[in-house]
Amino acid sequence: MATRNQTYQFRKRRDALKSVRAPLSSSASGSGGPVIEMVSASLLGSNRNRSAYAPLSTEDPGPSSRDAFTVGLPPAWVDYSDEIAANIQQARIKMSELVKAHARSLMPSFGDGNEEQHTIEALTREITELLRRSEKRLQKFPANGSSEDSNVRKNVQRSLATDLQNLSMDLRRKQSTYLKSLRQQNEGNDGADLEMNLNGSRSQLEDDEFGDLGFNEQQLSRLRNSEQFTVEREREIKQVVQSFNELAQIMKDLSVLVIDQGTIVDRIDYNIQNVATAVEEGFKQLQKAEKTQKEGGMVRCATILVIMCFVMLVLLVLKEILL
Amino acid sequence: MVLVSAARDYINRMLQDISGMKVLILDSYTISIVSVVYSQSELLQKEVFLVELVESISMSRESMSHLKAVCFLRPISENIQHLRRQLASPRFGEYHLFFSNILKDTQIHILADSDEQEIVQQLQEFYADFVAVDPYHFTLNIQSNHTYMLPAVVDPSNWQHLCDRVVDGIAAVFLALKRRPIIRYQSKSDIAKRVAHETAKLMYQQESGLFDFRRTEVSPLLLVIDRRDDPVTPLLNQWTYQAMVHELIGIQDNKVDLRNMGKFSKDQQEVVLSSEQDSFFKSNMYENFGDIGMNIKHLVDEFQQISKSNQNIQTIEDMAKFVDNYPEYRQMHGNVSKHVTLVTEMSKIVEERKLMLVSQTEQELACNGGEVTAFEAVKNLLDNENLSEIDRLRLVMLYALRYEKEKPVNLMNLCNKLASQSAKYKPGLVQFLLKQAGVDKRSGDLFGNRDLLNIARNMARGLKGVENVYTQHQPFLFQTMENIVKGRLKDTEYPYVGNHFQQGRPQDVVIFIVGGTTYEESRSVALQNASNSGTRFILGGSVVLNSKRFLKDLEEAQRITRSSPSVI
Repeated sequence: MATRNQTYQFRKRRDALKSVRAPLSSSASGSGGPVIEMVSASLLGSNRNRSAYAPLSTEDPGPSSRDAFTVGLPPAWVDYSDEIAANIQQARIKMSELVKAHARSLMPSFGDGNEEQHTIEALTREITELLRRSEKRLQKFPANGSSEDSNVRKNVQRSLATDLQNLSMDLRRKQSTYLKSLRQQNEGNDGADLEMNLNGSRSQLEDDEFGDLGFNEQQLSRLRNSEQFTVEREREIKQVVQSFNELAQIMKDLSVLVIDQGTIVDRIDYNIQNVATAVEEGFKQLQKAEKTQKEGGMVRCATILVIMCFVMLVLLVLKEILL
Repeated sequence: MVLVSAARDYINRMLQDISGMKVLILDSYTISIVSVVYSQSELLQKEVFLVELVESISMSRESMSHLKAVCFLRPISENIQHLRRQLASPRFGEYHLFFSNILKDTQIHILADSDEQEIVQQLQEFYADFVAVDPYHFTLNIQSNHTYMLPAVVDPSNWQHLCDRVVDGIAAVFLALKRRPIIRYQSKSDIAKRVAHETAKLMYQQESGLFDFRRTEVSPLLLVIDRRDDPVTPLLNQWTYQAMVHELIGIQDNKVDLRNMGKFSKDQQEVVLSSEQDSFFKSNMYENFGDIGMNIKHLVDEFQQISKSNQNIQTIEDMAKFVDNYPEYRQMHGNVSKHVTLVTEMSKIVEERKLMLVSQTEQELACNGGEVTAFEAVKNLLDNENLSEIDRLRLVMLYALRYEKEKPVNLMNLCNKLASQSAKYKPGLVQFLLKQAGVDKRSGDLFGNRDLLNIARNMARGLKGVENVYTQHQPFLFQTMENIVKGRLKDTEYPYVGNHFQQGRPQDVVIFIVGGTTYEESRSVALQNASNSGTRFILGGSVVLNSKRFLKDLEEAQRITRSSPSVI
């Protein structure tokens, strides 16, 4: 697709005009005081720095239009949105670690695998905590501010909500796959245990002649081990399910904020129309409210009451004086 | 895909290199251009957190200098004035200006003069100056479309304005495709000739550097034709999904406004019908009404099954699956309600206006059938109380277009009958139509009754019988496309501009209809493209017509002609 860049022509003309304008303004700015103007000599660089500097001068810079252009500080809620975005980023990093931990714990290992479980638990907890904190912060966005600022704020909220929802769905999907593979492994293990038990019983039958105590002990210890194993696995599953539910709650809350794709609400022209009508409606409501307040029955009542109070007071005083 | 992806690429490029929070400033034309190809959620992903119209940005005094402004506007004088005011007292930190067409030098100078604070970071021309409603169909949404029916002398400035807008739109399409075409136009139409010549001047002389693209073996073809060469297609009632919705309810920029049709729930008052976003619509937009009914029934059955299984939640796994699939479930719900609502509304309208009856006669008038039976049928229908005025008018017009020479007496009878029945009928409208688009003014063989070959073909078709009597009409455009593919487009009817000449068959063809396209024609084009004939067609028009709009343009043109002294 073809495009044409007219920036060069534009800048040429702008700079040509500036050299005509600059001597004019400096002659008009009156006496005394060096006025340090930010005249851009180069075509690039200084444009970026423009917003950072304000003209330094000991005198009024005169008719220069620089005062109209102040350094713009973004409103306070931008800090919140930055914080939430940072949280989301962190959550993403932790999720990739979690995936690795899942994979490691599913591999057959000689050890107990307890550290893996701890890491998985810890990571899942952290991620859920991050998501929950972000979601709470998202709900707590301030509702004041001008109408345009509130539009920007609402849109930022929407976009963050979409990101959060996607992240939580992703986490749940990963957890469910892990859970499934856990369950499969568990059954496998139980099967293996069963086999062991069978073998044990067979060997017991075989070795019965050799004496009961020893083999019973061996069997018992094996039983105890597998019991421990199952109890632990159950605990893990319970924890995963719990974080599942938490995430489901988060998703429900977020789904209110997220836009449905493909519907009329996702159309740019529909949103602009709505803003226009909403602003108009708001204005009308404000006018109405002002009017009702002015003629307000309440105000009238209150004034009458106050006047009556004064009258009564005066009467009281008079009574005291006259009597 | 071509037009939609070209427009999307332009918008992506505008937004990609600018970091931080942005505000997108559009005007009333570019908002249509952007809305049909880009969604709000995609804008949010690109960190565009506010969208405003250029006319209203100066109304607020609030300064938001932490936002960077990306302006995408048409290069017209009103926008330049708005921008000038904005640059004098800017609200945003940076301004990146993109224009949808070629800027004049004076406009660049005006902008440079007003940029005292040097907040404009770039000024570029991104040629997305068309509304890409479908992958191979674009429109320009021109308000004063009726001007094309008037001779240039009546309203020269509006006429020139229309021509300029059309030329700009066509130029933008070719710049977006990076091709420079050979141009042909319809010989009998003045406005088509003017548009063709001006486009050629722009592409080959004025901005020849800009259009100097790598030449391919076979140049693409631009064919500029006039709506009045086929006035039948916009007058007919439609029975394929997209065309039918536009005809009975009305589609604007892929949105359907149902608010006048009765009480609907809040999320069904306005709906979106876009083949890019709705896969059910994509596979059904060219199907006829009967098949759509069946397909929707299948869709509803599917949906009911899923919702039943959703209610049957017993284990935690089921719960988890439900929560996982909830977004898709919700989207499916919305989609199913939308289509069911549309089809229900349309069925209601068909029933009220007795459109099955009317359309049968319309199709016979348009395609085959003898004069006697046609006259009887139209007369009977005019007597029918239930018909709405617009349907009566359409029937008489179709009769007039077909049999104007054969039985003028009958035609006069029908016109008188029409005038006596409805008070709103503007007398002389049918005659005005014949003056504009009558047999003398048309170049092609619209009804297939001029040369023997066509007559024979028609008779054969009549004997064979048609699959569906309601969709037997094929727009004249279909024949034109066939002729182009076979290289049989006559030079006398469609001459070349200048000394161009087409070697062999073109592979890319853009057909522009001055006066407007219809969805029936865009369906024809899509089906032709799907048939892999080696040639790819793109259709464009000044508006997208339905019978209401076509008649409105006709009435407006008649009114102006009557009140203008310079017409004989």
